[in-house]
Amino acid sequence: MNVNQQWRHGALMVFRRNFLSWVKYYRSSILLNFGEPLTNLLALGFGLGAYVATMAGVPFVDFIGPGLLAVTAMNAVTFDMTFEAYDRLNENGIYQAMITAPLTVPQIVAGEYLWEAFRSLLYGSVFLLVLLLLGLVHSWWALVVPLPLLVTGIMFSGPALLVASRARNHEQLFYYFTLVITPMFMFSGVFFPIARLPVLIQDFIVLTPLFHVVNVVRALVLGHLSAGLVWDVVWILGYTVLFSWLPIRSLRRRLTG
Amino acid sequence: MAEVIVAENLIKRYGNFEAVHGIDFSVSEGACFGLLGPNGAGKSTTIRMICCLAEISGGRLSVLGHDAHPGNLMIKRQLGVVSQEDYLDPSLTVRENVELHGRFYGMGYRQAKIRAQDLLVFLQLEDKGREQVRSLSGGMRRRAVIARALMGTPRILILDEPTTGLDPQARLLVWSKIRELKQEGVTILLTTHYMDEAQRLADDLVVIDHGRILERGTPDDLIARVVGTDCLEIAECDPSFGQTLVERIQPLGIISDWQGDSLMLFSSDMDPVLAQLQKEKWLPAQYYRRRASLEDVFLRLTGRDLRE
Repeated sequence: MNVNQQWRHGALMVFRRNFLSWVKYYRSSILLNFGEPLTNLLALGFGLGAYVATMAGVPFVDFIGPGLLAVTAMNAVTFDMTFEAYDRLNENGIYQAMITAPLTVPQIVAGEYLWEAFRSLLYGSVFLLVLLLLGLVHSWWALVVPLPLLVTGIMFSGPALLVASRARNHEQLFYYFTLVITPMFMFSGVFFPIARLPVLIQDFIVLTPLFHVVNVVRALVLGHLSAGLVWDVVWILGYTVLFSWLPIRSLRRRLTG
Repeated sequence: MAEVIVAENLIKRYGNFEAVHGIDFSVSEGACFGLLGPNGAGKSTTIRMICCLAEISGGRLSVLGHDAHPGNLMIKRQLGVVSQEDYLDPSLTVRENVELHGRFYGMGYRQAKIRAQDLLVFLQLEDKGREQVRSLSGGMRRRAVIARALMGTPRILILDEPTTGLDPQARLLVWSKIRELKQEGVTILLTTHYMDEAQRLADDLVVIDHGRILERGTPDDLIARVVGTDCLEIAECDPSFGQTLVERIQPLGIISDWQGDSLMLFSSDMDPVLAQLQKEKWLPAQYYRRRASLEDVFLRLTGRDLRE
């Protein structure tokens, strides 16, 4: 193997570690990752949807379905890269064992991103299947959804892994959910279009990553494609590149300090 | 013999705290080298630098001909590390843990499978391969960690307190495996709190404390040089009695040391001392004569103060 092949092999083995671990509890893992979004979809979509007939010109449940798909992918990645990564670093010494073997911090991080891309793809695609069974998929463009899922899996990993590598205990991880993930979940156009919010808040929301994922996924599932989506894609790609560097320094300090 | 680890004036600082103050030592290929010292002496810091897990702050550290610095894969590929903490993956089986580690070293699927099987047999864990790590006893966990560390066929095996917390049977098994590895030509770097372990395994050792090397040599050499081979141990000795006794026999050139409330008298030969004490009727009713051990050397060098 040449140097590049060796590098890739190492990162792939980090992915493999997560996969071997995941296959042992995937049933409960899938249940945990779907309980909440599915409850949201059924309760809000069909319950609240009985009162709120349409949203932005489509039935309410059709509107929130793709939004919740994006949220499912974000949460699947974020939970793993916060609580699980925290344990890998602080409780079980998984990263420590990797770093004493000839793996480097960037390889570990790359392997983790690869794994989160897979999780995002998997959990997002299963949710897409649920939407299909409920008759909420309206376009063949939905077949393209896995592509943005792969990228956003990586995008949401960087900040979460940074938080995990700096947190001193589990409690501190909740701050990330309370202050970042939940507000994004509520205000990124999952449940309502942001058009009627004050302009200043709209401008701020455009700067957050989930908003763009929701736009892309909704457009693909409903078949409402427009030129504006190119901007969403550019934001997503930009954030992915920018965020992916975030945890490296902090992890390096933790593992080779 | 070639020297595989060379430290020259090696320094490690954490902020203003200097954990390692310019130490010099070298490890010969194929030897078992002991790094001894109380908690906080700088052993683990030194080990971390050798394993390329911590930047050196000064001096020089060469491992297998390469300068050690974090991420130096040229070195790391040739090391096997048994760290103080087990760091076994609790979500994987024993076999998966061992195989996966080999793959971190770049091995292919089949190659890792075969080597893992050989090592599980070598460490008498072949029946435990399918078990979750959680269900293992302390001794089995340690053996699993050693198997894991050997996956990359290391030239240097680093054992950081390999038998801490093990029962005597488990320690004997680990020791015999370490000896077998040494016979195969693997260089071993050992840190331990157990002086009997160092005495049995190490060809050469240094005692470090407060980041400095206090003594170096072979175990026998250190015993002869630092305390003398012959020891008279007076248990539960009255301090003033002990004091006077030591003064009376001082001209005979003995070394005395209190270990708790026991008085130790050391010399290369205690016969003349015993004879004189007998003559002067100063011989205590109860005493115990034994060979001096590395533990005596260690306590003499590092003092009796509790470290934590």
